[in-house]
Formats: sequence, structure tokens, C-alpha cells
Amino acid sequence: MLTIRHLKLNLNIWAVLSFIFILLVILPNLNIVLNVFNEPNENWNHIKEYLLKDYLVNSVILITFTGFFTIIIGTSLAWMISIYDFPLRAFFKWGLVLPLAIPPYIAAYTYQGLLNYTGVIQTFLRNSLNISVQQKYFDVMSPEGAIFIFTMFLFPYVYIITKSFLEKQSAALIENARVLGRNSFEIFLYVVLPVSRAAIVGGVSLVILEVLNDYGVVKYFGIPTFSTAIFKTWFAMGDLDSAVKLSAILMCLVFSLLMLEKFLRGRKKFSYTTAKYSPISRIKLEGIKGKLAFGYCLMIFSLGFLIPTLQLVHWAFLTYQSILSIRLLGLILNSLLVALFSSSVIVIIAIIIANNCRINENLLSKIYSKVTVIGYSIPGAVIAIGVIVFFVNFDKQLFWFYKMLNPNSSKLVLSTSIVMLIFAYTIRFLAIGYNSIEAGFEKIGTKFHEASRTLGMSVTRTFFKVDLQMLKPAILGGFLLVFVDILKELPLTLILRPFNFNTLATKSFEYANDEMIHEAAISSLIIILISAISIYYFYKVGDKED
Amino acid sequence: MYVQIKGLNFKYKNSKEKILKDFTIEIEKGEIISILGESGSGKSTVLRLISGLEVPSSGLIRINDRVIVDNNTFVLPEKRGIGMVFQDYALFPHLTAAQNIKFGLKKLTKKDKNKRLQEVLNLVNLEDFKDRYPYELSGGQQQRVALARALAPSPSLLLLDEPFSNLDADLQCKIREDLRKIIKQTGITSIFVTHDREDSKAIADRVVILKEGQIVRVGKPKDILD
Ligand SMILES: Nc1ncnc2c1ncn2[C@@H]1O[C@H](COP(=O)(O)OP(=O)(O)OP(=O)(O)O)[C@@H](O)[C@H]1O
Ligand SMILES: [Mg+2]
Repeated sequence: MLTIRHLKLNLNIWAVLSFIFILLVILPNLNIVLNVFNEPNENWNHIKEYLLKDYLVNSVILITFTGFFTIIIGTSLAWMISIYDFPLRAFFKWGLVLPLAIPPYIAAYTYQGLLNYTGVIQTFLRNSLNISVQQKYFDVMSPEGAIFIFTMFLFPYVYIITKSFLEKQSAALIENARVLGRNSFEIFLYVVLPVSRAAIVGGVSLVILEVLNDYGVVKYFGIPTFSTAIFKTWFAMGDLDSAVKLSAILMCLVFSLLMLEKFLRGRKKFSYTTAKYSPISRIKLEGIKGKLAFGYCLMIFSLGFLIPTLQLVHWAFLTYQSILSIRLLGLILNSLLVALFSSSVIVIIAIIIANNCRINENLLSKIYSKVTVIGYSIPGAVIAIGVIVFFVNFDKQLFWFYKMLNPNSSKLVLSTSIVMLIFAYTIRFLAIGYNSIEAGFEKIGTKFHEASRTLGMSVTRTFFKVDLQMLKPAILGGFLLVFVDILKELPLTLILRPFNFNTLATKSFEYANDEMIHEAAISSLIIILISAISIYYFYKVGDKED
Repeated sequence: MYVQIKGLNFKYKNSKEKILKDFTIEIEKGEIISILGESGSGKSTVLRLISGLEVPSSGLIRINDRVIVDNNTFVLPEKRGIGMVFQDYALFPHLTAAQNIKFGLKKLTKKDKNKRLQEVLNLVNLEDFKDRYPYELSGGQQQRVALARALAPSPSLLLLDEPFSNLDADLQCKIREDLRKIIKQTGITSIFVTHDREDSKAIADRVVILKEGQIVRVGKPKDILD
């Protein structure tokens, strides 16, 4: 029953703004759906006949093996860190999150430079030990190499989610199993894995989405996948129709995976907590066992963070004279400004939509929150196509207006500006900001809002005087996560940036692709440094607050 | 009659059965009413409907001859001028006691705000604690801040949701007395909710017994509770 009284409750500025934002997120993606059914052209028939199978097989191989290995590494580390005590455990607890600070494409060319014929390792073996190795064992530019890179730099997603689940999980379950006479490994296999299934699936699906989104690694290694194919059909061949068709197939793959995720997660939400929260009392590992645990963590930490970072530092020393210049400053400024501005936009939109969902509980706002979150599962290449088509159409519609302002105006205004890039970032990363802020709202609940209302404050005044104040930590957290993601982002930035606009990420990638890996070091290190600080803040400092 | 509630019916969106059935009561000015019922009987829901945090499916509420809800009226909670003390107080954690109390006084000048603050602090006897944050106050003190905050804007009706549920047993006796004194001193019409008959006996002028969303008895405490 919708009466005037209900309308009065629900129709406010929050609902209206949310509606507009959601529409803007949906429209570009709708373009893809609409264009899928265009008549297939010759090129498409060629792709379908000879190439499509390769793209599919490669993508499936990459996600399957990366998924498998990140589960093994992520859960084993989560288990060790939450239940055992061993040397440097406290350091590894957050140190093992750091591989997230290194974008996989940077890791890819760092490892390539490290392992190739002229790299440190082979040079050392050759010159000091007089050993020459078979090149094929040192070749990372292969699907196996890509799986290695993805695994080492994406496993923290599984690790973080599983670890925080295990920490919240009441210790009773594990202690019971122990009392029943099972050893640790059996408990891990028969109790921990099944119980944390939902958490693991949640983490691994993030990994898989990242792999499907990746463009940098597969392009650099020369592995044909959907991402590279979409780029190639569109730029090298200028065939937008076929690129749209490829995007649509990729989206089908993504959605099947999301369905699979839902199914595998079962009915359990992975954030469930039992009423009583009691921390696990950790077992101290003595002697050789302690050393083994330490060694394992150290190995993963070295491969995923220490080694590539040191290598980059070394290269930075070789090249800083030619690289440190006003141009580098320009790059840094570009990156920071775009990331800061876009993150602010994203956080503000996320706050508005989340607040609307909270105060206007109805079907529409439930749909909003679903749509908001979907953006993150759409690979960058697909968003890029949707956004470009959208903006070019938009420019066509607005041409009369541009002419009115400036008689010599060119046909394309918005679609050659930075607005398009920021718009695309917003679609892709809104989910990250939204999740953080929604969790913040959930934590503070509705009672403070209600108290303020009964004290005579309207929804909007309450928002500024109460909700926003209490939401600060969540806003900061969401902002940081989005900021780092934008700083590292490659495919969208590559396609949608205005002419001659470079960021740290695009410049590093360009250097690496032009066989100037050493020159890429400094901009890569800046990205890694900023990301590492933000991640440290988010996971270490944010952790303490709870 | 000062407060008139007639035939309120209500159900939550995701609940199957009606939570409140034909809730009807009239209250005189300055009277203290207690709604007594078991957990889940719908006591808090009554208060949420009166304060405007939920919309009834039918029924009428009129305060001081002003209709705040009926079939074609709905006055938003912030426009009702009804004070509420929440079950767990809901004091704003980012504001001090004094700032919490002044929160609802947005229409006054700064000077008047401070004057009013002084008055209510006096009333609840908390002058020494006004600059503390909620987490620096004891349960009893928090309750008094919550009461002061609700009273500060001089509401036409005061609602209290289980005002004693978060306090120790020995403290309860003393605070019951205090609460009754404070309310009677201001002469404000109040409805308070409890599951404890002793609360009702000590404070209420009249008791409403609620069972599964329906009023089963209404009367003076000594008549129906002894
Ligand atoms: N938001 C809600 N959605 C659905 N059902 C609700 C909601 N809030 C309360 N209920 C249900 O309405 C009924 C009455 O709840 P209410 O909170 O009014 O009880 P109460 O008498 O205040 O109980 P208590 O003494 O435990 O506070 C309960 O059965 C409860 O489960
Ligand atoms: Mg209640």
C-alpha cells in the first residue's frame, strides 16, 4: 500500500540523487547489451573460427590455476598466522598483505628482468659460478609464468578474508576438534577448510575477477586472452562491433563465475560471527617446526614483495639520473590528482547511495546496492568500450550546445577529456567504496539516526551532524582502498586517458613494453610505496580499531 | 484529552502477523503512563509509532488537538516535538554530555542554549559531568544525560523505553525515585515502557498491560498490580 504518507517518507533528495547515479552506472553497460546483436561482420567470423577458442582456453587456464594456487597459499598462511606462534609472526601477519601493493603488471616485468639472460640471476650464475642454464627454465613469459605472477601478487585476497574469518570464528570449534584427538593438519583439512569455505570462495572470486580484468601481464607476456583480444580488435583493427561481441562473451563468463560463487558459498555469509567472541589461544611452535613456519612465510613474503622491490630499487639506482626530472614530477602530479579527485567522487556517491539504502528501505534501494556492486566484476576492457560508446553518443547529442558556446568547437569534447576516465573509474571502483561505507553504516546502526530525528533534526541535517561524524573511519578506509586501486589501474587508464596524458602506471607500462625495464623502476616504486603505506594503514591501523 | 491514540494497527514489513492490534488509549496532561509487557509484546513498537519512526497501517494519534497521524496525515518525527529516551540511550559518542543535550536546541540563540543547558543539567543533577564523553560516564549518569537531552527541547510528550534495563538492581530503586521526581517536577506527560511490575508500581499513575500486541488491562497500579 503506497499512500501519500509513505511517499512523503521516501521521496527526498537522497532517493533522487541515488537514482541518477545508478542510471549513469547502468547506461554505458547497456550499450554493450544493445550492440551485441548487430550483424556479425567478416572479421568476427574470422575471430570466431580461429581465435575465440584460444582466448577462452587461455583465460580458463589462467583463472583455474591461479585460483587453485591462491587457495593453497592463502588459506595455509591464514591458518598458520591465526593458530600458531612462531618467530616474526606479528610482522608476517600484515607483511603478507603487502604483495597487494605491487600491481601484477609491474611484478611481471620485474621478474622478467630478473630472470632473463642479462638479469642478475643468470649473470651471477654465469660469471661467478660458471653455470649456464637452459633458458626454458627461466622463461616467465609463458602461461606458467603468468600464473606464478598472479598467484604471488593476488593471494592476499584469499589470505585476508580467510584470516579475519578464522579470527572471528569462535575458537571453540577448533579447540573441540583438538580435544577429539585430531592433529593440526587433520583439523585444517576436515574442520577449517569446510567451515571457512564461504570466506575462501569470497576471496578467490576476487582473485579471479582481477585475473580476468588484467591487461598488463598478459599483454606483456604475449598471452592472447579476452582482455588483449578486445584491445586488439578495437585498436589495431578498428572493429568496434567485434570488440563488443568479445566483451559480451567475457561478461557471460564473469556472470557464470559469479553464479558459481553464489552456489559454492552456500547459504552462509562469510562474515558470520557467533555470539561469543573468544580469541584462539595460539600454539607455540618450537624448534624445527617454528623454523619451518618462519621459512614458509619468509619465502612467500620474499617472492611476493621483497625480491621484486629490491630489484626495482637496484634499477632505480641505475637510472635515477635520467629519470628524475620535471617530467617525473608531472607524472606523479597527474597520478595523484586523478586518483584523489576520482576517489573523492566515488566516496561521495557511495555515501549518498548507502545512506539512501539505509533510510529508504525498499525494493528500489536493494536494486541500487546490487547494481553498485556489480561494476567491480566487469573487466576494465569491457567498461572502457561501454564508456567510450556512451560518451561519443553523448558528444553527438551535445554538439549544438558546444557550437553555441564556441563556434569552432570540435565534435568530440567530453570524449577526449579526462571526464571520461574519471567516469569509468567510478563505475569500476564504486563497489569498493560502497562496501566499506555500507559496512560502516551497519556498524553504527540506526539508533543514533533515530535519536537525532526525535530531537528535531531532518534526515539531511542528521546526516551531516551525526551519521557523517560517526562514519569517518569507514569513509577514510573506503577512500584509501579506492585511491590505491586507481593509482595502480592500467587498462582503463590506457584506453580512456586524454591524448598525451600519462600517469605513473601508464608510463611504467610503456617503458617496460619498449624494452626499457630499468627506466620503469622509479615510477613503479612510487606506486608501490604509496600503495604499501595505504595498505599498511588500512590493515594494520584499521585492524586495531575493532 | 491531551493525548489520544485510537485503533493503531501495525506490522513490520518482514513480519507475517500484526505486531499491534487496535491499540487505543487516552492520556491526560501531566500523567505518567506505563506500558507493561513481556519481551516481544510490542512495547517498543508502540513508542516507535508515537515518535514517528514507523508508520502505522491504520489508526490515529492526536496530541494537544494536533493530528500527527491518521489515514492522510503523517508528521515526520523531527516535526512532532516528542522526546524519546532510547532503550540503550543512543548518546552520540562523538559529542560530550553538554553537546548531546544541546543537540536538539537548534532554534535557540547561543545564550539561550546555554541557559537551557544549565536548567536541565540542574534538573538531572549532572553539572560536574557536562564535559565528559558518554564512554566516560557510568550507566546511571548516561541515563540522566539521555533524559536531559530528551527534555531540553521541552517536548509535548516524553517517551522512555525501558529506562532501567541497563542499570544494576540496587541502583534501580534510587533512580526510580529520582526519575519520578524529575518528571513530576517538569509536569511533562510521559509514557514509559517496562517489563518490570515494580517499575510500574513505583512510577506510573496508570498502567497499560500489553500482551502480544493487544491491551489486556488498563488501570491504577494499586488496582491491577497488587
Ligand atoms: N524491525 C523489525 N522487523 C520485524 N519485526 C520486528 C522488528 N522489530 C521488532 N519486531 C518484532 O515485533 C515484535 C515486538 O517487538 P518490540 O521490540 O516492540 O518488543 P518489546 O516489547 O519492546 O520487547 P523487549 O522487551 O524485548 O524490548 C517482536 O516479535 C519482534 O520480533
Ligand atoms: Mg523493546
